[in-house]
Amino acid sequence: MHYDLLLLTFLPLAAAFAIAFTPKGAEALQRYLALGATLIVAVLGVRLFLGFGVEGTPVERYVFDAPWFTLPSSYAAPTQVRFKLGLDGVSLLMVTLTAVLMPIVILSTWGHVHKRVKEFMVWMLVMQTGMLGTFLALDLVLFYFFWEISLIPLYFLIGIWGGERRLYATIKFFLYTLAGSLVMMIAIISILWTRGTSDVFELINLLCRAPLEEQLWLFAAFALAFGIKVPLLPFHTWLPDAHTEAPTSGSVVLAGVLLKMGTYGLVRFCIHMLPGAAIAAAPVMMALGAIGILYGALLAWAQDDLKRLIACSSVSHLGYVVLGLFALTPAGINGGMLQMVNHGISTGLLFLLVGMIYERRHSRALDAFGGVAVAMPIFALFWVITTLSSVGLPGLNGFVGEYLILYGSFQASPLWSIVGLSGVIFGAVYLLMATRRMLFGALDKPENRELADIGAREIGLLLPLIVLVVWLGVSPNTFLSKTQPDLEQIHLRLAEARRALLASAEASPTPTRPDQEQSR
Amino acid sequence: MKLSVLHSLFDSAALGALAPLMALGIGALLVLLAGLTPLSKAARGVLVAATLIVAAALHGRILLAEQVPGVVLDGVFVADRATAMWGLIFIAGVAVTWLFSRNYYVEDASHQNEHDVLLIATAVGMSMMAGARDLIVFFIGLELLSIPLYALAAFRRNRTKSVEAGLKYFLLGAFAAGFFLYGAALVYAASGTLSLDVFADPAQRARVLESPMALVGVAMLAASVFFKVSVFPFHVWVPDVYEGSPTPITGLMATGTKAAAFAFLLNALLALPTGTAAGLAAIALLTMAVGNLGALMQQDVKRMLAYSGIAHAGVVLLAIAGAVAGDPQPHGALQAALFYMAAYVATAGGAFGVLALLESDGERMTTLDGLRGLGQRRPYLAAALTVFMLSLGGIPATGGFLGKYLVFSVAVRAEMIPAAIVGVLLSVIALGYYLRVIIAMWMQAPDENSPLASTKPIAISARLASTACVALVLLMGLLPRWFLEHM
Repeated sequence: MHYDLLLLTFLPLAAAFAIAFTPKGAEALQRYLALGATLIVAVLGVRLFLGFGVEGTPVERYVFDAPWFTLPSSYAAPTQVRFKLGLDGVSLLMVTLTAVLMPIVILSTWGHVHKRVKEFMVWMLVMQTGMLGTFLALDLVLFYFFWEISLIPLYFLIGIWGGERRLYATIKFFLYTLAGSLVMMIAIISILWTRGTSDVFELINLLCRAPLEEQLWLFAAFALAFGIKVPLLPFHTWLPDAHTEAPTSGSVVLAGVLLKMGTYGLVRFCIHMLPGAAIAAAPVMMALGAIGILYGALLAWAQDDLKRLIACSSVSHLGYVVLGLFALTPAGINGGMLQMVNHGISTGLLFLLVGMIYERRHSRALDAFGGVAVAMPIFALFWVITTLSSVGLPGLNGFVGEYLILYGSFQASPLWSIVGLSGVIFGAVYLLMATRRMLFGALDKPENRELADIGAREIGLLLPLIVLVVWLGVSPNTFLSKTQPDLEQIHLRLAEARRALLASAEASPTPTRPDQEQSR
Repeated sequence: MKLSVLHSLFDSAALGALAPLMALGIGALLVLLAGLTPLSKAARGVLVAATLIVAAALHGRILLAEQVPGVVLDGVFVADRATAMWGLIFIAGVAVTWLFSRNYYVEDASHQNEHDVLLIATAVGMSMMAGARDLIVFFIGLELLSIPLYALAAFRRNRTKSVEAGLKYFLLGAFAAGFFLYGAALVYAASGTLSLDVFADPAQRARVLESPMALVGVAMLAASVFFKVSVFPFHVWVPDVYEGSPTPITGLMATGTKAAAFAFLLNALLALPTGTAAGLAAIALLTMAVGNLGALMQQDVKRMLAYSGIAHAGVVLLAIAGAVAGDPQPHGALQAALFYMAAYVATAGGAFGVLALLESDGERMTTLDGLRGLGQRRPYLAAALTVFMLSLGGIPATGGFLGKYLVFSVAVRAEMIPAAIVGVLLSVIALGYYLRVIIAMWMQAPDENSPLASTKPIAISARLASTACVALVLLMGLLPRWFLEHM
């Protein structure tokens, strides 16, 4: 038994408690405590990442496991719910991203959080525990615990430190996500009762052989919860509101990590645990993803508010992730995993940059700007790099992910791959247009002449992410090679499920999904 | 029968079974007598506390014993682990109410002693209801609970609202009692007995339920019990009575009465024919809908909690519907209801208690606007109320979540998955209003025009109660093993 993961997950929570008991006015202390805790977590996270998968590292090193409580099951022995945290290839990138992103987010609050600093830091740290727990949980009930708990901190972050319509946005966000989660809870109840275990890996073994009908309804329940979180097309309306009203740091965490909880869930549960249903539902999911790419891009194009624009672009970018994942091909899933990280970094950067300019100009309307590059050259440099990474310039991170996704999905369904490809063009259109309207042109507004360029702290917090943008673009294999062994497990399951579907199709006169089978 | 009752009273099993009730009864009498002596308020408080602790210990003894007394007194009363757990839940509810009421009354503070006696009496009544295997024993328990509650509801006799609440509760309660007795008479006429054992034997049960007279009787009994648990369509009295009663008492009505009536329903489960499961589930969902939609409309937090209490009754009823439909887990519904109500006693009891602290003797400060900015002014109270709201909403890490999980498990096991999905979606509406309370406390600045909540210092007893409630809610949410194993 090793305690690394326990420490990683609960150190932020412990720091949150410590901050809660600091005196009211000691803002500097509270800020540095939060920064210190997240930095330690970041170091731990990077260490885990570097050590992961290296020859000779025992797997148990990455598992913490203790019995927790029992629930009724249909077997003689009750279902033992365990407090089981574990790191594997599926969660590795997400955990590392969360750990690395948080100190940057905390550092960014120096600029925009000036009231109720103590509470802000407490909620941020609680959120980190919630997110890490969600990614690390290897017990279905524990996963659900963390999944729902991580709603509460963001609810407070938006509700207290948000913009004008923050109360509306925060309730909408909470209720939307909750509705999906509760349906997932019903599925979890059913799984625990019929299978007598809540261990994720045991369930992966048990459920992939479940009859297709059962898999399909479980898939629907899980996909609803994850789809709302991602957000997938018909359920996306909460996201622009939440993003627009959230404080900068809240937006960064929301885009960077929280939405990834949804895509992570799709990989871990919908695809890995229910491969038969995933194959059956893949056309629908790919269609939703591809349409989401296009629709999100068009939405973003129509926005005048910079932050809303980026929020809508998130809908588009996460469409790629879903498209790639449900291609169910090695390239597609690899690309989807990578794009999860890419989106976290690029969109996180964009939100940070928007926050910086908002702190100076107190406006996010595109019309208010023009020629900002002259007044703020360093800012402009960072903005352009980030934009290029987001539109997928080769050599930067976005390209690798999008390329793999489009390649992988073309193998599965040329139609949706082409629809997704057109999204790439629209993506370039709206982001580059926004860049032009904001940075270039004449510096004709008097307010913009006085804008101060970004300072050392701001450069310091942007640089690590820019390094990642280039690193991921140049050498994606550093990251992909670590996830590979576990993703291969998923492909084995999928192959097995395909054989089973084929066998049942041959056995019965009406073939279930011939088009699915042909395409690979 | 009468002789054997006398004989079996000396039986050690019967003594063990009745010991907690006797302790409460004797304690109530001692407190009443203490009111005649010049003992200080603190000393009398010690007496009340001792009574509750002794009774709780006696329940605990049954709960942890190798051998439970089981059915005693010729089959009219049962004392097993479940009733012991129910007993502990009731005592917890009474204790919370008592602690919060210690400094609640100002005008009527001189009658605190009578108040406490009545409170202890309700605990006896509730325990009798939970252990009853016989309709008459249940009825005596019911009245032992209800009559003190009528008086307690009207306890602030100089306030119209309080008197009105007492009167309304009394009139409707009397009506429900009439229903119960008439129903019991019909069941007796059809079966020749008042014992619930008729329903335990399948052959006898089928024969009794064949008779339309018995069915009408069972329906009337059910209506009466549904009135007590405030299930649709017998819920209309709830908002007015809850609003007018002294707030700590409202907490007891919402938690204790409901728990006791559900305890009996679970005992009498077999009396409900399997065919009624769908109807029960429909009633449960309607109750949740009515309660949640009603609560959504409220500006007054106390009224809002009253409606939310209706919704919670619906949730537990769903578990009962699942059990009637044939839950493959033998004691699943019992476990779910025990856990749910235990969490609810701590949660709703605590929430009403915190509201009581924010009032200053009935000057109602419990509108949503009155709670604005509470997080800044009284962070501990606001934090406690936040935990209670999240638990009522069934968010993980609180007892409310696992309660909800267990209840919906019953429905899923009984293959009522559509009902379960509708149920959870209805509980999303509930979050809509619980979140508004949190918004008011933490996210809105105090309103200049609306009166601020009371700023008087909080008595130690109330601190103890609110801390204990928060601790229990979190304990049941984070480390529920002990509770699950003993329920």
